[in-house]
Amino acid sequence: MPPNPCASCKTNRALILRPKDHSKLCKGCFIDVFEAEIHHTITANKLFYRGEKIAIGASGGKDSTVLASVLKTLNERYDYGVELILLSIDEGIKGYRDDSLETVKRNAQQYNMPLTILGYDELYGWTMDQVVEQVGKKGNCTYCGVFRRQALDRGAARLGVKHVVTGHNADDVAETVLMNLLRADLPRLSRTTSIVTSTPSASLDPNSHTNIKRSKPLKYAYEKEIVLYAHHKNLDYFSTECIYSPEAFRGSARALIKNLERIRPSAILDVVRSGEDMAKLVPGSDEGCGGACGNAVPAGEEEEGGCGSANGRTAGGDMANMEQHLAQNEAAAENGLEVEITSRHINDTHDSSVPLPAGKKGKKNKGPSSTQRKTTKQVMGQCKRCGYLSSQDICKACVLLEGLNKNRPKNKIEVGYEDGQETEKELNSVTNGLNKLHVEGG
Amino acid sequence: MPGKNLPEIANEPCRRCKENSAALVVRTEPLCRDCFVKYVHTKAIKRLESFRVRNAAPDHHRKILLALSSGVSSAALLHILDHHLKTQKTKTGRTGFALSVVFVGAPDVNFQAEELLAKARDHYPDHEYASLPLYDIFCLVSDDASLLALIRPLGAAPDLPPAEKLAQLINSLTSATARADVISTIRTRLIVEHAKSIGCEGILWGDSTTKLAEKTLAETAKGRGFSLPWQVADGESPFGITFHYPLRDVLKKELVSYVKLAEPSLASIVHASSVPTQASMSSKNTTIDDLMKQYFESVEENFPSIVSNVVRTTSKLEAASVSASDPYCDLCNMPVPAGRFGIHGWGGDQKDGVDGCNKEGLDLCYGCTRSIPQLAIDTNGNP
Ligand SMILES: [Zn+2]
Ligand SMILES: [Zn+2]
Repeated sequence: MPPNPCASCKTNRALILRPKDHSKLCKGCFIDVFEAEIHHTITANKLFYRGEKIAIGASGGKDSTVLASVLKTLNERYDYGVELILLSIDEGIKGYRDDSLETVKRNAQQYNMPLTILGYDELYGWTMDQVVEQVGKKGNCTYCGVFRRQALDRGAARLGVKHVVTGHNADDVAETVLMNLLRADLPRLSRTTSIVTSTPSASLDPNSHTNIKRSKPLKYAYEKEIVLYAHHKNLDYFSTECIYSPEAFRGSARALIKNLERIRPSAILDVVRSGEDMAKLVPGSDEGCGGACGNAVPAGEEEEGGCGSANGRTAGGDMANMEQHLAQNEAAAENGLEVEITSRHINDTHDSSVPLPAGKKGKKNKGPSSTQRKTTKQVMGQCKRCGYLSSQDICKACVLLEGLNKNRPKNKIEVGYEDGQETEKELNSVTNGLNKLHVEGG
Repeated sequence: MPGKNLPEIANEPCRRCKENSAALVVRTEPLCRDCFVKYVHTKAIKRLESFRVRNAAPDHHRKILLALSSGVSSAALLHILDHHLKTQKTKTGRTGFALSVVFVGAPDVNFQAEELLAKARDHYPDHEYASLPLYDIFCLVSDDASLLALIRPLGAAPDLPPAEKLAQLINSLTSATARADVISTIRTRLIVEHAKSIGCEGILWGDSTTKLAEKTLAETAKGRGFSLPWQVADGESPFGITFHYPLRDVLKKELVSYVKLAEPSLASIVHASSVPTQASMSSKNTTIDDLMKQYFESVEENFPSIVSNVVRTTSKLEAASVSASDPYCDLCNMPVPAGRFGIHGWGGDQKDGVDGCNKEGLDLCYGCTRSIPQLAIDTNGNP
């Protein structure tokens, strides 16, 4: 036996300290166990059916490249009988996607998978560059986020594909769980923990992009293991790390996850598990029926808001905006005033704010256990224009498009950026604190 | 700190009484000392509506337990409750409930618990006091077979003194996070058992808003999401006794100010917390609880309402409905719906292998399984 044998085969020399549980494995056993877990995720959750056509949302980054590679391997090894294609979105920002799209093109050849690249111009009639030209640099993030959310679904619908898989990994899911706890957004917490988010629709048009099923086969895979796998399999990927700092809630959650992983390697998985368990405890949750009924929400909603330009955004803006709004509510409740929720920010975060009782001492308290157990539940309907699931009559994308098409910039989406400087200072104190918190790798 | 701008607000009048000059700023409102004390009292007492005098039958005296911890929050709560009971007595000639105070000494405390408790007794003599060592859990838990099963694989003899049993258990844990987790789990259980044994109908916990937010994220990170509602919500606990968090609407920093301003003697029953400073954070001795504590104490500075919102919203999670047939975790004693014990056999870990702990006849929930080492069967060689 070699001096440092692999914990699995006990034969080869261990070269890899597995990030998930710190077990010492040889290269072959690591690749085996990584693939076996994803196979198990797919079969245990019955993600695919024979004959299904599946679009892999491909960005050329590590996650989607590993996803494509693993799915190809597993499809051949276990004979899933699924047809895999690559689907990439080009936002139309000059130069931004050049390298990553080149990577995707090479991947298509390496994996022998058909590739479709769809531009925002084809999907929406506007490239992001044109949007920026129209609305200026300040507001374009809103467009990017909203357009991106629907892009894969719209793209898949064009290709007649009903199932899109994305490269979201365990770190992403754990980060989203903590972020939604911080934002106090229980409905979203419950949605984003499920491995499949389908958007069943009443639409009669079978080609409607509202009938797209989304799933995350890498949901339980650690980011570090994805990188290791890509490295040891010599996969060709492009580092698409967003160079812009995320908004404060997501940034906080990300820093916490990184620190948690250092303290206890299993913590990422443990957060995911807690998220799944808590989803069942969210009032009015549909987890009981596997999330398949009723709780219909645009599946891509958890999509990251990051985009090609952070110019219109202030670091910490989301946290500071919410703080301001909540503080106003508290003050108003203290004074017994009716609170009208008008803030745009709150529309963004849905039910993040808690409706406060109008009267102060007037309400009879029925004891400590009788807190107001009401969560506002969104009523999801369909966008009257495009059929996409939306809580409004017209979905955000269509509203934005209408504005663009009328050749009139929508100023109202820029609300709340004025006090950026002060916010940044405050936020820095939070993030600095977190950075200092970096614990030494164990 | 609410009082950080003292020089600037020195000339400002109190926003509430409009008479005294402000002593500190509370959520943007400058308040004088008296109005601040009133503010904290009101927030706490509002949470104790069900223990009003008129709800107390004259022939039956209700008793509740206060868990004192040497921290700022539970000390403040003791002071508030003492004042509240005195007021009730003056106004109505009787009180809505009787207070019993318990202090649990932890194995890692390096200060004189008895001294602290003696001071509390001196200052607030109207109440019943008890101090319990953590290892009393091995005496108080009626069916301690399950707890014994935790240490049996370690080679512990059943007739070992309780203190030794506890030491064996704690020493078997492989990380600071696990030690902190198991100690606080046992502490909660011990307090529950004590409360029941002396006939208390409920337990008052000193947790501030900030602490509850910390707990929410820390327990989530430790895989205890399933039991979160039982750990942060007011009302019936799964242990046949009610839990109350009267300070859930008061921030930690407000309680720090309260202890300074309300009563000079209060500081003597507070032991300076021994949280590692940021500089000393290393993965070896940092716990998940420490991480969340530092995080929320920084968020609290500029985003207090976000901290409150986390707590307010988390308390809306509906505890899983527990049926009599649901099994309980042998360590934390929480009901485990559908008996989903251990860390295997779910999406994130599909190993079908029987958990090592089960081999020892133990049923541990997901979170407890993470803290209790996989005993002899762990071949991964964790450091
Ligand atoms: Zn005043
Ligand atoms: Zn447990």
